[in-house]
Amino acid sequence: MKSKLTRILALIFALMLAVTMVSCTTTQGGKGGSTGTTGTSSGDAKGIDTSKFVTISHLSLGNKPTNGQYEAVKAEWDKYLKDKLNCALEVQYIGWTDYMTQYNLLLATGEGLDMINSASDWLEMWPNAQRGAFLELNDLLPTYAPITWETVPESSWAEVTFKGDIIAIPEDMYSQWINHGYMYRGDWARQFGITEKIDSWDDFQVYLQGVKDNFGSQGVIPFDIAGASNMKALYDGWTNSKSSYICIDPVPEGLAFGKSDDEWWEVRSRFLPLDDGTDMLLNFAKEMKEWGDAGYWREDVLNNTADTWVQFKAGLTGVRQHHTQTYVSAYKELEREVPGADLQFFPWAEESKNLTKMSITHGATAIAANCKNPERALMVYDLIRNDETMYKLFNWGIEGVQYVINDKGQRDLPEGFVTDQHGFSSNFWGGRMDKFELAFPSTTWIDNYEELYADFETYAKPYRYGRFVFDKSPVESELAALSDVVNRYLPAISVGKAGDPETVVKEFRAELEMAGYQKVLDEVQKQLTEFKNSL
Amino acid sequence: MQDSLQTDVISKIDMRKSTGGQKVVDKTQRFIQIVGVAFTGLLSILCILPFVLIISASFSSERSIVLQGFSIIPKELSLDAYNLIFNNPEQILGSYALTISMTVIGTLVGLFIISMTGYALQRPDFPLRNIISFYIYFTTLFSGGLIPFYMMVTQTLKLKDNYLAVLLPLLMSPWLIILMKNFLKSIPHSITESATIDGAGDFYIFIKIILPTAKPALATVGLFLALTYWNEWYNAMLFLSSNVKYRPLQLFLYNTINEARYIRDSAAASNIPAVDIPMESMKMATAVVATGPIIFVYPFVQKYFIQGITVGAVKG
Amino acid sequence: MKGRIAEVFKKINKKRTLLFMCVPAIVFFFIFSYLPMPGAWLAFVRFNYRDGIFGSEFVGLENFRFLALSGQLWTLTRNTVLYNLAFIVTGNILQITVAILFNEMVGKKLNIYKKFSQSVMFLPYFISAVVIGVFAYNLLNVQTGFINSLLKQLDANTINFYSIPELWPIIIVLAYLWQSTGYGSIVYFAAIMGIDAEMMEASEIDGANAFQRIRYILLPCLKPTFIILLLFALGGIMKGNFGLFYNLTGANNMALFEKTDIIETFVFRSLNVNFNFSMGSAVGLFQSLFGFVLVMTVNTIVKKIEPEYSLF
Repeated sequence: MKSKLTRILALIFALMLAVTMVSCTTTQGGKGGSTGTTGTSSGDAKGIDTSKFVTISHLSLGNKPTNGQYEAVKAEWDKYLKDKLNCALEVQYIGWTDYMTQYNLLLATGEGLDMINSASDWLEMWPNAQRGAFLELNDLLPTYAPITWETVPESSWAEVTFKGDIIAIPEDMYSQWINHGYMYRGDWARQFGITEKIDSWDDFQVYLQGVKDNFGSQGVIPFDIAGASNMKALYDGWTNSKSSYICIDPVPEGLAFGKSDDEWWEVRSRFLPLDDGTDMLLNFAKEMKEWGDAGYWREDVLNNTADTWVQFKAGLTGVRQHHTQTYVSAYKELEREVPGADLQFFPWAEESKNLTKMSITHGATAIAANCKNPERALMVYDLIRNDETMYKLFNWGIEGVQYVINDKGQRDLPEGFVTDQHGFSSNFWGGRMDKFELAFPSTTWIDNYEELYADFETYAKPYRYGRFVFDKSPVESELAALSDVVNRYLPAISVGKAGDPETVVKEFRAELEMAGYQKVLDEVQKQLTEFKNSL
Repeated sequence: MQDSLQTDVISKIDMRKSTGGQKVVDKTQRFIQIVGVAFTGLLSILCILPFVLIISASFSSERSIVLQGFSIIPKELSLDAYNLIFNNPEQILGSYALTISMTVIGTLVGLFIISMTGYALQRPDFPLRNIISFYIYFTTLFSGGLIPFYMMVTQTLKLKDNYLAVLLPLLMSPWLIILMKNFLKSIPHSITESATIDGAGDFYIFIKIILPTAKPALATVGLFLALTYWNEWYNAMLFLSSNVKYRPLQLFLYNTINEARYIRDSAAASNIPAVDIPMESMKMATAVVATGPIIFVYPFVQKYFIQGITVGAVKG
Repeated sequence: MKGRIAEVFKKINKKRTLLFMCVPAIVFFFIFSYLPMPGAWLAFVRFNYRDGIFGSEFVGLENFRFLALSGQLWTLTRNTVLYNLAFIVTGNILQITVAILFNEMVGKKLNIYKKFSQSVMFLPYFISAVVIGVFAYNLLNVQTGFINSLLKQLDANTINFYSIPELWPIIIVLAYLWQSTGYGSIVYFAAIMGIDAEMMEASEIDGANAFQRIRYILLPCLKPTFIILLLFALGGIMKGNFGLFYNLTGANNMALFEKTDIIETFVFRSLNVNFNFSMGSAVGLFQSLFGFVLVMTVNTIVKKIEPEYSLF
């Protein structure tokens, strides 16, 4: 009886599966063709067996180009890779929606992953290393990524070393400035009689008031903000402009700062009064209350859903907050839509000259812990990073379609280039190289970006916490609770919509205290001291 | 012999249908009708308005939406959003084909299993009905959570990048099974009993007598199941990587509509290069494209309600 | 004893076809629900990907601690439960009303109207929460919102919806009703279709008017459906509709939290940056446990009063 039962059961289920499977493969279309044929090992990889054809994946953040260009460019680099390393390379894109869940699920199982884009400041490189998501590369690098191994200096390897093991390769040879600030319209500023570049919050307020007075009646909002992260950023800016504090990136939500460049090992909180008794947070809260009451942003700013950059381009708002890199490429974009707008930039670091260089682990490439072909993955990485042909293919696309090199030796867009039809990007943010990057011509980047960068170089200080690995585990619950508190209070305080500044700052601090803030600060101090002593 | 029994039952139902149509409308019913039309009419207007706004916005120029907001009739007509979506028609048509096939297959297979289970579970003479009902219901209370489910599908079943990973988990839900069980309860047990006396097996009774009798129930549950498949994006997001050629339509919609919000509210906002966020008109056009065809399914299903086949009408 | 077991088996054996008919569903839930279920152990460990769920270090209730640390647990629990209760009560009343009203519409013209109206009421179900949030903002915001523009034209005082927490329970419930009524009323409509027509006709012959018919025949017949809906809803009473709340009230409007914060929005704020599967699991377990106790209690009560209607 029983066996009959199981047999029937199995039959039903098998039938069910078969039915669904058959119909699935018919809708599946072109999927599943990458079973590659074996090729002969080629000359480039000396003495390494590459006789087996494999497909290496690269995990990228961002949306896959849906215009068919990804497939076209992939075909090109696959040809090249087949020849060089007998392999193919595919990019696995994670769309921005719910990217944290998607990214971490993939890491947790490691299913089908090879190269992974990581970052210490926004993709949890250290916690993921701690959870064992990344492969230790010490023994593999010299053999399989020899050029990278040779060229990355010892000090940079130290910044991707977790408990003695190298767990990623840093993007250490690519300059970009990602210090934030306010972008504003130069033509408007001049109209209000602001002739100098804005370099302080007071001047910036004059500009905002100018927008309010001159265009407010036409419905222009001086500073349209949307989204928690953009509101909290105001206090990042304030901290940057009004103190010598340096953010300790591995601690989330800006909960811990170093006192200054000279005393970077002293942990401070930007939510508590400064050493000299200045109540920075309260001053900020008062100032922003004033700004909010003056109508520099919407009354209902906390629930705003507008796309503020679109609003900016439509002349409906006068400020955009983001980093230097964005400014450099936004200038011409705006000029095209609003000729003469003359986008200007007030970097927050300007007021206090408190600027640190970027961490080299703002972008990094790791190899998945259970990667099936780590050797080949590293070889591919080595090629992307050091081989000009591969670098250009993977980062820029096909010459003549995605880019051309003009007679000045600059990278330019081809005649008739339309982003929707020809745009391609692999979002490879873990190993771009200055030596291959070509000056962007005037159609895309602002002309004087070099001056801007040079100016930053004059006062920027080195990043101190590159090698500091913060072990969250002793205070994980506190960090979660504190995140909640910060996210409840800080956005509202930042736009002056939290009621009386004195009261709310007091409340905020009480809640931080209750959620175990002191314990977290003590823990950071303890680990930072250990780190300092280990140097 | 069994066939005659079946026609007998069917004819009884048909008879009931014909007499059921000639109801006399009295004063109180007339009053309820007037109130009903007014009330549901108001609700209908509230429900249709946003849809009109969405369609209008999808045909508006981005500029007019930013400057003037939503309106019932587009202020500046523009097909930009649709041009963008159909930029690569193969992709979007492929997604359509995928979503439609998943919906059809999933609904047919799922509905069959659900009704079969539902029928067995409502049989008062089935000794295991309470235990199995509880076994099924319990899964709504406790679950292993995201990670174990994810591992089950990708590692044990090896369904990563396989459409079955999207299709299978939605085949049935405790809610639909119990709902079906409840609906089928209203078919008198005496029908089953008399058929059994005539020598029909349980499975035969289910296929030949219950299924044809229970059309409203099948239509309702089938509609719910079809909607589940049509609106599915989550499993697709988890299990179908960007390397799968076609991904379901709703995943595309969900991503277009949500990414701005996710970028804005997360750590990525200040760290990544500024991303081009989809235009407002594009979001609306995506919503129109992704909702489109399923709307026409409902009126089709509706006829089973309007007809009023009253399953309970059959007396054994 | 042995004899009794044998007897039970004999009984089951007699109905084995019915058992076979349940087998696909049994297998299905075994694979997709029961096999992953032990994975809930995740809530009690510090998850290390290489060691797996069961090999990771056991940390007791550590992953639950952040819920208590926040000091918000009571507000969150209260809000979540109250909102769900409001949804259950108002939702079912409206759905039943709509289903009954549609049922009373007979005749050619009314049938056409009914078809149209029913279809239209279904539409909101397809509108994503993000779009609802955008519409709500365009409707309610104080400067350019539709309602306030109207009030300004009438020279009335504007209402700053986004700073009056007391209004939000009403707005959220209305939004919920708007989205779910069309969909939800179908269940009741189908249940009405299943009511014995002879019973209905008999009542008409007895001279019962429409009100009496609804009161004494329709409503009692809808009770089992309502109870099933109730039991399913109660199981999830601690689980909030994140999309709806998040998009309507925003993630950071402090002024509204007291009335609008639910467990899901709290978890979003806490774990969005500190991504942690174990803490997520812990929250899930907490919610399930609450629902479980509630359902078991209610089901037992239902079983005592009307055994026919209980779920199991």
